[in-house]
Amino acid sequence: MTLTPTFQRKVDLLYLLTRKEIALKYKRTVLGIFWSLLNPLLMAIVFFIAFKIFMRFQIENYTFFLLSALFPWNWFLSSMIISSRSLVDNVTLIKKVVFPRQYLVASVLLAQMIHLLFSIPILVGLSSFGGPGPSLSWIIGIPLLILVQWIFTFGIASMVAIGNTYFHDIEYLVGILLNLTFWVTPITYPLSSIPANLKPFFLLNPLTSLIACWRGLFLENKILWKELGIAFLFSLILFQLGRIVFNKLEKRLDEVL
Amino acid sequence: MSAIIEVSHLTKKFPSLRNPQAIKEFIVNLPRASRSENGDTFSALKNVSLSVEKGECVGIIGKNGAGKSTLLSLLLGTSHPTEGTVTVHGKRTPLLELGSGFHPDLTGRENITLNAVLLGLTRKDVIARTPQIIEFSEIEAFIDMPVRTYSSGMYLRLAFSVAIYTDPEILLIDEILAVGDESFQKKSGDALVSLIRSGVTTVFVSHNLEAVKKICSRAIWLDHGQILDQGPPSEVIQKYLEGV
Repeated sequence: MTLTPTFQRKVDLLYLLTRKEIALKYKRTVLGIFWSLLNPLLMAIVFFIAFKIFMRFQIENYTFFLLSALFPWNWFLSSMIISSRSLVDNVTLIKKVVFPRQYLVASVLLAQMIHLLFSIPILVGLSSFGGPGPSLSWIIGIPLLILVQWIFTFGIASMVAIGNTYFHDIEYLVGILLNLTFWVTPITYPLSSIPANLKPFFLLNPLTSLIACWRGLFLENKILWKELGIAFLFSLILFQLGRIVFNKLEKRLDEVL
Repeated sequence: MSAIIEVSHLTKKFPSLRNPQAIKEFIVNLPRASRSENGDTFSALKNVSLSVEKGECVGIIGKNGAGKSTLLSLLLGTSHPTEGTVTVHGKRTPLLELGSGFHPDLTGRENITLNAVLLGLTRKDVIARTPQIIEFSEIEAFIDMPVRTYSSGMYLRLAFSVAIYTDPEILLIDEILAVGDESFQKKSGDALVSLIRSGVTTVFVSHNLEAVKKICSRAIWLDHGQILDQGPPSEVIQKYLEGV
């Protein structure tokens, strides 16, 4: 496949920035990228012990139930936290070289996505032992959900990253808000446990439908098209909003950094 | 006539940093494109107009704080005009703070690739040119070590070598002719002069008046954000020296 030089250059730049994110994360570690696999694995073991032995919930196979939502959430969480500083931490690059600044945000999301990909084998394992077993729907569902979540996260992360260059308070605020979001999104509990009269409010949270999709895919081998459609719609709105805000505030980036 | 750089009625204001803007005021002003005109700004450039022809080498001289570097960052595009327009046709290669795109934990080779792509090459091109870049920088022995282990001279040499091997069309130079030791200074200076001679358009900000006189075809004297004079380098420099 041949691409035009300008487009090829953009692809290369995004690739290199992403590789840099990954390389720097594991620089000076012995295990390197192996940590990406080890991390979710150890997390799974910890939860397995905790919920098999100490806390017994009514939900069947709680570890699988929890991790099917927690791994996608972790991608969102780490992307948001790291990308909120992605512009502030690259001041010299921004001030001295011209390139699309959104790439700094995009590369964080892509680098963090690697961790999600590495956690999929663990979900395959959990599904095989004590679940319905992975099905072909995963092959379509996973890329589709990754795409929707990527667009969604990129929209929010763009606004947060550019906003943070104006007011560094934002990154602290984001930390708190993420904590709140974690608990108002059905991750540790099922959507069905929410009282019916409160449900519409929960559905206002775009992450609710997104997480429901992930869970439907991993736990029931189903692609929940309706929820996916809602999540996609939210994603497009946030993506567009992120673009507008980013482009507007970017113009004065040199004055605030 | 082919003006490759066209600057018209350019004004650049910076917010005064004495009192950080309140969030309330910021949000109120958000719908407007520019900062509210409450006068609490500092103008680095005031109504500057100039044009540079293809192949010209323009030297910009002036005292500290005259707006030289601000002008350069506007030409580069890392900064945007408050008023007026800047039009540049062609690929801009900055030689500003050398090595600013380097990451200390990446190796010399990794930094070459990342920076050359940032400066406009594709990865394939960079890989083909890497041997030349390494040879020019004279740091073969250390190329696979993280650049944080480099001396500042090695750092600058590598950064300079990357920049000149990225096919520059428009060079924007900010006072960097002193790269490394005596012999490398001569080598880098020669490489730069041959690039300029080969028809690369150059804007060159410097306090080194001799260098401006030697290399540039035109000089612009900037003072307090305005152009005081422009013309043949020797004449402008003469006036500048008398004015100081």
